[in-house]
Amino acid sequence: MINFTEAILVIILLSVLFSLGSTRLLALVRIMVLQGVAVSLIPLFLKDHGTLGSGPIIFFQVMILIKGVLIPALLYLAVKRVAIKREIEPFIGYHASIMTGLVIILVSVFITNHLRLSLPTGQATLLIAAITTMASGFFLMMARKKAITQVIGYLMLENGIYLIGTALTKHSHTLYIVEFGVLLDLLVGVMIMGIILNNINTAFDDVDTTLLGRLKD
Amino acid sequence: MESYLSLAIAILAAPLFPGIILKVKAFFAGKKGPPLLIKYYTLAKLLQKGSVYSNSTSFVFTLGPTVSLASALVVLLFFPFAGADPLFSFHGDVIVLFYLMAIGRFFTVIAALDTASPFEGMGAAREVFFSTLAEATIFTILILFYRLNGSLSFAEYFTGENPISLAGASGALLLFAIVSLFMVLLTENSRVPVDDPATHLELTMIHEVMILDHSGPDLALIELGAFYKLFFYSAFITHLMYPFTLAHGISNGVIFYIIIAIIYGAVGMTESIMARYKMNLVPKFILTSFALVFFAAILTMGVFQ
Repeated sequence: MINFTEAILVIILLSVLFSLGSTRLLALVRIMVLQGVAVSLIPLFLKDHGTLGSGPIIFFQVMILIKGVLIPALLYLAVKRVAIKREIEPFIGYHASIMTGLVIILVSVFITNHLRLSLPTGQATLLIAAITTMASGFFLMMARKKAITQVIGYLMLENGIYLIGTALTKHSHTLYIVEFGVLLDLLVGVMIMGIILNNINTAFDDVDTTLLGRLKD
Repeated sequence: MESYLSLAIAILAAPLFPGIILKVKAFFAGKKGPPLLIKYYTLAKLLQKGSVYSNSTSFVFTLGPTVSLASALVVLLFFPFAGADPLFSFHGDVIVLFYLMAIGRFFTVIAALDTASPFEGMGAAREVFFSTLAEATIFTILILFYRLNGSLSFAEYFTGENPISLAGASGALLLFAIVSLFMVLLTENSRVPVDDPATHLELTMIHEVMILDHSGPDLALIELGAFYKLFFYSAFITHLMYPFTLAHGISNGVIFYIIIAIIYGAVGMTESIMARYKMNLVPKFILTSFALVFFAAILTMGVFQ
């Protein structure tokens, strides 16, 4: 039968690649919904914890709610309110971004093969997907001008970090303090971004972060 | 016997499915839409007509439609529809077949150039540019399949010991291949978002503008060739999605045509909910499909061995 973990990981990688190539902000937000849900589903399908208590299950549901509904909704509101539709002149073009995505995954395969971590079988892909997501998020933050795309890059980075956490900790613990911390961080970050975006937009009539360089005392 | 039968059904049924696309599009537009058999009626109508040839054209122009239909037909001979053995098969036939399809396109292009119409030259240039990019994707898919399965022919891909399918050992990687093959399908068959088959303005056409000067039976041959090409790509995707074992022939056939209908429906849906890309965004679309399979090919190096 089809291997669900790998299928979800492949979907995450697909979403990373599409996010590198997408010009529309709304499309980007939709891709983040897909990625958020896929990332939060991963722990449920990993082999080494077949039995999950009710606590973790509730936690993962909350996770899906936050990553798949709450954060995208906030992003969506931000996109609507500042009335921007697309990234017009990124620092690094879309073709070059997709090519960079290829290089990133090549490098992450290389890194995973050479780290020689004692991962359970079948989780090497998890690490590859995690490193790729993280690095691509980082790249997205650097390569785009609009504040909102940079926040989406940050979200991708966090997704990658979460995946790395899942790959390495094997979820032997029952307390999800770190995960909740990350989520809270993200949520606050996105909310603050919304407020700041609004302010940048009223001050400059645009949310291009390069405009901030013009600020003088 | 079974292979002749499945091929005959495929050849006869291919013009039916574009009707599904039209139906889906009509459904989204809230219209009733043309009858399902519309393409058969169109073909019959075109075959009854006479052809008009411009004085400026040569024998190349009349050669175009025949060669493009023939190349699309030859591909079908090699394809194992619904798991039945294909009529012909040899090691490495995929490469030959993709080049044969390129020959078909080449003749369509030179027939278009032969008319000396500036619009047709423009359409030919676009068609060749985009299909060159799509070729990179196709051959990366072949590389991926070679790594997964170690074979280079359609029959070995789908009917051999270790068939390539979603349910297989490294099936997850095929998600990449399916998505990018669908993108290639849209590109190669001039569908939205790359090209709009329903457009009426020569300046925005890609494939349609190349066949503007063909009429009557010539146009029918070109249309038929296009149906076979679309059918081939959808059959390719179908085989990736569902493994067809030899055990039960009839139910295989039914499932095969249901999945094909779903794929055509997906094409129709894409056309209904998407606008076509600006010309300068099309290379990005094709490049994304290339990047997807390349991702998958890289992953075979690392872990999916």
